[in-house]
Amino acid sequence: MIAQAIMDGLIAGAMIGLGAIGITLTYSILRFANFAHGELLSWGAYIALALSDGLGYLSASLMLPVGPFSFGWSLPLAAILAVALTGTLALLADALLFGRLRAKGGTIIIMVMASFGAALTLRSLLEFLFSTKPAYYSKALQIALPLGGEMRATPDQLLTLGLAAVLVIAIHLLLTRSATGRSMRAVSENQQLAGIVGIDVRRIIRIVWLLGAGLACVAGIMAGLVVQIRPHMGHDLLLPLFAAAILGGIGSVPGAMLAGLIVGLSEAIAVQVIGAEWRAAVAFVILVAVLLTRPQGLLGRAA
Amino acid sequence: MSVPALSTDALVAGYERDLPIVRGIDFSVGIGELVVVLGPNGAGKSTLVKAIAGLVTIHSGAIRLGDRDITSAPAHEKVHQGLAFVPQTENIFTTLTVHENLLVAANILAKETRSRRISELYALFPDLAARPSLKAGQLSGGQRQMLAVARALIVAPSVLILDEPSAGLSPKVAADVFRTLKSINETGVTIILVEQNVKAALAIAHRGVILVDGKRRHEGPAATLAGDPIVAELYLGAHRAPPAVGA
Repeated sequence: MIAQAIMDGLIAGAMIGLGAIGITLTYSILRFANFAHGELLSWGAYIALALSDGLGYLSASLMLPVGPFSFGWSLPLAAILAVALTGTLALLADALLFGRLRAKGGTIIIMVMASFGAALTLRSLLEFLFSTKPAYYSKALQIALPLGGEMRATPDQLLTLGLAAVLVIAIHLLLTRSATGRSMRAVSENQQLAGIVGIDVRRIIRIVWLLGAGLACVAGIMAGLVVQIRPHMGHDLLLPLFAAAILGGIGSVPGAMLAGLIVGLSEAIAVQVIGAEWRAAVAFVILVAVLLTRPQGLLGRAA
Repeated sequence: MSVPALSTDALVAGYERDLPIVRGIDFSVGIGELVVVLGPNGAGKSTLVKAIAGLVTIHSGAIRLGDRDITSAPAHEKVHQGLAFVPQTENIFTTLTVHENLLVAANILAKETRSRRISELYALFPDLAARPSLKAGQLSGGQRQMLAVARALIVAPSVLILDEPSAGLSPKVAADVFRTLKSINETGVTIILVEQNVKAALAIAHRGVILVDGKRRHEGPAATLAGDPIVAELYLGAHRAPPAVGA
């Protein structure tokens, strides 16, 4: 049972980790906790659903399952478009709301409150457009494959784990090896200095929104693929996402992923050991414990 | 008459519109000049150079870099146009390595010239060349200032502005910084230097400009100012009114 809990925890942790990377990037550069980030997961999942269904309508063959997976080519194609559209949604939110507040010198609390408002609006809009009924990318049933040691996982679940690993490595390389990544780290440390070394800070902010929203979209699609799609799916993940971002250390991409896995594993093991009703409390306990004992997180820098 | 490297025209700037700190300063620096801006605390020296660099709101007046009007250009565009600024504090990225600090600044150069320019800077600052992988936050005070200057020089600026580069440094390290600035100026880079270390700054400068209460009150050749009792009086807070500009 514990072995299976570990596998379930890793899969949940991969989704939490990807979402937490977006939170940690936006927090370290925009300096506020964006409570609308969970909604980007939900919107990403629903945009991919709408596009995938649309592609399936145009060509039924695109809906036929690919290899051992439950979905057809329509989903990966839709996912690429959904990443771009979720990024556009985040840029729109910045242009209409957060950017305007920043320009007026909005304090952190104003930005946080605005993000609560944005979250509520985006969630209600999803309920209005898609209803609160759960939706699925595919109704095909998948048999979990034995992995040894009483562990089992479906091909979809293994794919989400592999994709999360690839994305974390890609983001880490982007931040450490590319000019854009170095500029992002520079802006994260000191925006004013970044400006006087020639970095266009507004361009970096746009890149961070696109990257954070894109990762949220992928995490949302993963959650939709291995669980289900609901308007509240992102909102329900918000506490684990923040717990992972803070546990990993704000600004640290490997930290967010590692912490996402820790939160996912802790939740899964807690379900086995103390009962499912305590699952939601686990992220909260981790969050409080980290803030009290190591506020800079596992891989973050001390203030 | 040749165009100055940098000039301001009736510049009014500050953090709040009703409370300008720089109050109508006309100021110009010739090509290849090293000018030191002096003045008592609160005179507006740092605000003047921050306004020129694009970090403080300009309420009225104009700034020209050569013959280009850069008054409303954002800070990052001024760098592209050849204006480099080294703030007094927080002038390097402490979480980036020495080499990454230089790479970040070199981003605005053409790709093929970046490595060569960084090598040139390492040759000029061998202390930095010895530790490219060290986190900049682990450098000593003097090394940090050298990195900040090297970072600013990466773009081969036409005008380099430094805000109190000797602040917090030991006299020996401060002397090294001044020597380095003098040698940089001798390569043709125009330098504007804000300093509290009056003697050392005037020793390397061509000219000095004295600000009081956000206005230009006095200026002259550095050698003359070094022995001028007015300079001492202004710093000692004497009550006698300073003479008019150009005296």
